[in-house]
Amino acid sequence: MRWLLLIVAALVLALPAAAMGVTVGEVAKEVKCPTCSTPLNVSEAPVALDMKEFIADRIAEGDSKQEIIDALVVEFGPSVLAVPPKEGFDLLAWLVPLGAVLMGLALIPFLVRSWRRRNRPVEAGVGVTSPDELERLERELRRRSAGK
Amino acid sequence: MDDDLEIDEGTGRGRLIGAIAAGLGVVALLALMTIGLLNQERGNSIARAVSADERPLSPDLELPVLVGGGPIKEGESVRLSDLRGTPIVLNFWASWCVPCRTEAPVLERLWSRYQDRGLLVLGVDVQDLTGKAKEFDEEFGLTYPSVRDGDDSTMRDFEVTGVPETFVIDKQGRVAALRVGPVTSEEQLAEAIEAVL
Repeated sequence: MRWLLLIVAALVLALPAAAMGVTVGEVAKEVKCPTCSTPLNVSEAPVALDMKEFIADRIAEGDSKQEIIDALVVEFGPSVLAVPPKEGFDLLAWLVPLGAVLMGLALIPFLVRSWRRRNRPVEAGVGVTSPDELERLERELRRRSAGK
Repeated sequence: MDDDLEIDEGTGRGRLIGAIAAGLGVVALLALMTIGLLNQERGNSIARAVSADERPLSPDLELPVLVGGGPIKEGESVRLSDLRGTPIVLNFWASWCVPCRTEAPVLERLWSRYQDRGLLVLGVDVQDLTGKAKEFDEEFGLTYPSVRDGDDSTMRDFEVTGVPETFVIDKQGRVAALRVGPVTSEEQLAEAIEAVL
């Protein structure tokens, strides 16, 4: 049974890209047009048309999707990829937004505490009173009790 | 009372974190603005200098040869700084570029006309597929050499905004003239070439 599975897997891997149903559009959405920087599948720039022809030729030759993408990277460099690779300087494109989200999440508890504190109802009678005010209050109370 | 103290400490810490976050935001914004300004400055510094009759030092390039010609052999790479002492017409082109088709025969004639006087016409193929670029070269029977800038790095260094674009570089490696757009007649570059021979 295991041998049968291995033979089937080997046959599937050996199938040309065309037989596996790889289309120009599937490869094109993984790369960019170098002149306009838009995804290749929506670009009609002259070089984009050449690239689509290149992809179609490679599919006909039986190359896999990844082999075609790799060939385009050899031609135009890693910047041709629609999604930046997760390595080197390009890693920043992934890390910076993640860092911003984490920083925002970390700030939430502090902001919530600050808002709560601001909205907490003030208890009646509780407040800071200066010594002058206290003295005046005591004088007034004494005067009133004396008047009774 | 303890509770009041805790609240005060919490407020202080929150404010400190808020201030740090705001400070980092401002620093990041300033950094982005500075980078933007520097890039803008760099974006047309060669063209501005040439238009002010200056001769700015040309950026260097080191690229693989796409098609050989003259002293440039296929399979090697070319470094511009190694060519000091040779006046150069450096032409950025691509096979899909329609104006480049008009220009290629003119550059070939300039190469034939000035080659014996020491001029090198050097093409820089950009934003192009290698196969298409070679087909273009064969179609026009070009005998001047071309190098290939696959990832646009040289195009960026030379602040090229589109193809075709042509630089006339003197023997000291300085940009003596710049033409944005196609060279449609030999006379358009002849004077600049004569000045650097």
